[in-house]
Amino acid sequence: MDNLKVAATERSPEVDFDFERGVLRLRGESYPEDASTVFGPVFAALEGFLADAGRRAIEVEFDLTYFNSSSAKALMNMFQMLDNAAGAGAAVTISWFFAPDDDTMKEFGEDFSEDLEHVSFKLVPVG
Amino acid sequence: MLAKHYRSFKQDLDQRGIIFSFSGYMSEEILYSLGNALRQKMTIEDADVTTVKKVFSVFVEQAQNIIRYSADRLAGHVGKSVELSSGMVTIGTEADRFFIVCANVVLAGDVPRLRERLERLRGMDRDAIKAYYKEQLREAPEEQSRGATIGLIEIARRASEPIEFDFEPIDDDLFFFCMKVSI
Repeated sequence: MDNLKVAATERSPEVDFDFERGVLRLRGESYPEDASTVFGPVFAALEGFLADAGRRAIEVEFDLTYFNSSSAKALMNMFQMLDNAAGAGAAVTISWFFAPDDDTMKEFGEDFSEDLEHVSFKLVPVG
Repeated sequence: MLAKHYRSFKQDLDQRGIIFSFSGYMSEEILYSLGNALRQKMTIEDADVTTVKKVFSVFVEQAQNIIRYSADRLAGHVGKSVELSSGMVTIGTEADRFFIVCANVVLAGDVPRLRERLERLRGMDRDAIKAYYKEQLREAPEEQSRGATIGLIEIARRASEPIEFDFEPIDDDLFFFCMKVSI
């Protein structure tokens, strides 16, 4: 399958999904009018990868500085999808980056990771 | 006379601590530009990162609520299909706190549900709001709401005090809805 690369816009994050290496990274801010236009292609690529990859490892990096509530919902769906894949045998690692003085992003990382049962989750302070 | 009139209008806004106030047709582009100006202004004036994020987040959710739900809207073709929603967003400071007020016209039939949602949030403490947010994140969106519930919970979560809100009847079909959030 092809890699997925989407440049950041004013209100949506950069998406970089390297299928070869099994690395998916989201970076930037996310408050688009319609979260499904941003996250729809990511979900489709992730589903394709997970169906293809079987028990291959995947690393997902969330390097986000702000997102709105509808993006938060999409992110929660991604976490659930990844945890299900990990439960089925894929080696899934999630890294959640946040600036040390940014309590909001840190708390979101903690919130999202609370339900994870199978994924290896890292909260990573940067900068 | 012209300058006097508008100077007094501007002074009135300044005296109320208003940083900026937008009234009219709102779009995602306006949201982006006003939001950036807001963050820049707060950062230049040394507001801490967490406060800037809270104010920005409440602003975005309020502006997107207007864009999605204002009952005063225009649709048409201007090269492409365009839909504009009218409303008002005002941001300012009072007593060492930031406040964000949004207002828009809502359908009378939508008032009870909106009022019920806001009353429910007012009755919750910080931990209850956080738990409710997580519960709603996992839920499928309610029909027709396009994510309104989670947006209101996000606003309540960032607020330092319970959200203030009010409805004023315009006619049989419409109400003027107003919400104030302090941070």
